[in-house]
Amino acid sequence: MVTKTEETELNQLENQVENGGGGVWEYLCLVRKLKVRRSELVLKHGLSILNDPGKRSSLGPDEWTLYEQVAIAAMDCQSLGAAQNCIKVLQKKFPESKRVGKLEALLLEAKGMWEEAEKAYSILLEDNPLDQVIHKRKVAMAKAQGKPSLAIEHLNKYLEVFMADHDAWRELAEIYVSLQMYKQAAFCYEELILSQPTLPLYHLAYAEVLYTIGGQENLIAARKYYASTIDLTGGKSTRALFGICLCGSAIAQLSKGRNKEDKDMAAPELQSLAATALEKEYKQKAPAKLNLLSSALRSLKL
Amino acid sequence: MAEDLVLDTAIRDWVLIPLSVVMVLIGVLRYFVSKLMRSSPTPDAKMVKEGQVVIRARNLKAGANFIPPKSFRARRFYFSNEENGLLHVPKDQAQNPQAQMFSDPNMAMDMMKKNLSMIIPQTLTFAWVNFFFSGFVAAKIPFPLTQRFRSMLQNGIDLSTVDVSYLIRPCLRYFLNLFGLRGLFSLILGDENAIDDTQRMMQMGGFGFDASKSLSAEKDGLDIIQHEWALPRFEHRAESVLRKIVQADLVISGAYKTCFKFKMDHYEIVEVID
Repeated sequence: MVTKTEETELNQLENQVENGGGGVWEYLCLVRKLKVRRSELVLKHGLSILNDPGKRSSLGPDEWTLYEQVAIAAMDCQSLGAAQNCIKVLQKKFPESKRVGKLEALLLEAKGMWEEAEKAYSILLEDNPLDQVIHKRKVAMAKAQGKPSLAIEHLNKYLEVFMADHDAWRELAEIYVSLQMYKQAAFCYEELILSQPTLPLYHLAYAEVLYTIGGQENLIAARKYYASTIDLTGGKSTRALFGICLCGSAIAQLSKGRNKEDKDMAAPELQSLAATALEKEYKQKAPAKLNLLSSALRSLKL
Repeated sequence: MAEDLVLDTAIRDWVLIPLSVVMVLIGVLRYFVSKLMRSSPTPDAKMVKEGQVVIRARNLKAGANFIPPKSFRARRFYFSNEENGLLHVPKDQAQNPQAQMFSDPNMAMDMMKKNLSMIIPQTLTFAWVNFFFSGFVAAKIPFPLTQRFRSMLQNGIDLSTVDVSYLIRPCLRYFLNLFGLRGLFSLILGDENAIDDTQRMMQMGGFGFDASKSLSAEKDGLDIIQHEWALPRFEHRAESVLRKIVQADLVISGAYKTCFKFKMDHYEIVEVID
C-alpha cells in the first residue's frame, strides 16, 4: 500500500514531469519502487530517454531496468511494436535470462496468443517452480480468456503454497463475487480481515457479502461489520451508513413474526443516527437529491 | 606508579592506524569473497509453504477477534487438526532437525564454506598481529582491575609497575577492533553485511530456521486463544462516532440561532431609544 507522503511525492513529480521540468528519472524510479500503474506516462517519458543515446548512456547499468519497465508499460498500453523493440534489445544483451523469458511470454500474452504463452510459462515454471509472478500471470491469462473457474483453480493451487499473499486472496474474493459464490468470497474476506484488521475496505466488503447472502444471523453480523467500518473511517463512509439502514430494515422484516429480543440489544439508536448522518451528508454534498433520500429512508423505516 | 601513561605518537602511527586499516581491508575483501562463493539459495517448496503457514497462523492469532466465532473455530480446526492439520508435525519428524541438516549435502557444503571463509582470515590476522605488535601499551581500560588479570592482559612487558588497566597484548587490541569495526562495516558495505563475524560466532551453536519447532509453537499459541468477538463493541463505538457527527451539526445551528436572536434584540433596543 502506498503511504500518503509517497503519494504526494509521486503526484508532485508527475506534475513536474508533465510540465516539462526535469526529474524524469526520479519519477520512473519512484513508479518502479511503489509498483503503481502509470503506463502511459512511463511509456512516453521512458521512450524519450531511451531514444536519446546521450541520456541512455548516462544511465549506466540501470538502462536495462528501464528497458524492462518501458516494455511492460508498452504492453499495458497495447503498443506492441515498442514492446517488441525493447525486448529485442534485452534479448541481445542477456540471451539466456529468465527475466527476459518472462517478458517474452508476457508479450505473447499481450498479443492474445494464449497457447504459446501458456507453453512459455510452463517451461519457465519447470526451471523455477516457486516463482510467484509466473503463477499470477497464469491466473491473469485464465481470467482474460473468460474462464473464471480455471482462474479459481490456479489461484487455489497458488494459495496452497503461498497462503500469506493477501493480494491473491483479494483477487480470489473478487472472482468469487463475480461468480456469485458468496460463501467462498466471505471466507476470502475473512482471511483479508485477519491479515489487516484495521483496513475498513475489507470490513465493508465482508459486510456487503454477508448482507447479500442473507439470513437473520448473517444480517446481524453484516450490521456489526458496517458499524466497524463506520468506526474505522470516522463516519465518512456513505456506503456503510446506507448499509446500516438497509440491514436494520431487513432484520426488522425478517423478525416480524418472531420476538425481537436480540435485535435491539446492541446499539438501538444506530439506525436512526445513521439516517441522520446520511441526511446531513447529502445536504452538504448533493442537496438536490435530499428529497429522494428522505423518502427512501422513510419507506425503509417500515 | 599512579601517573597516566600517554599514547606515544610513534605507537599511534605505526601500530594503531595500520592495524585498523588492515582489518577494514580484510573485512571488505572477505565480504566480496563470500558474495562470490555464495551459492544462490534454491528455496525448497516445503520450506516456503511452512514459512507461509506460520505467517498465516500468526495472522489468525492476531486478528482472531475480528472474525465471527464460527469461522475462527473452523480455521483453528484446520490448522491444529490431529490428522492433517497444517501445523501438526508428526512426532518422529520433529526430533532430528540437526541430523536433517547434515544429511542435506547442499546445506552442509554451505556451512563449511561459510565457516572456512571466516576462520582462515581470522587465524591469519590473529597470528600476524600477535607477532608484530607486542611490547607496547595498546589500550587503557576505563575501570580498575585486580592483579590477577595482569597475566591475562599484559603479556609483552614484564614490568610489574605498569597498572593493570593498560593493555599490552595485541590480540586484545585485535578483538577490540573487531567488535568496534562492526558498526563501520555496516556503514560501508550496506545492511547486507551487518552480520559479520560476531553474529556468526553467536550463531555457530544453533542454526537458523527450525521449521518444526516454530510450527508446534504456533499450534500451541493457537490452541490457547479464547475467542472474544470484538464486533459488538464496534456497534457501540459507531454509535458514538455518529452521534458526535450529528450533534456537531446541532450545536452549530443552535449557536447561530442565539446570535441571530441577540442581533434582533439589539435592533429592538435601538428602535425604542430612537
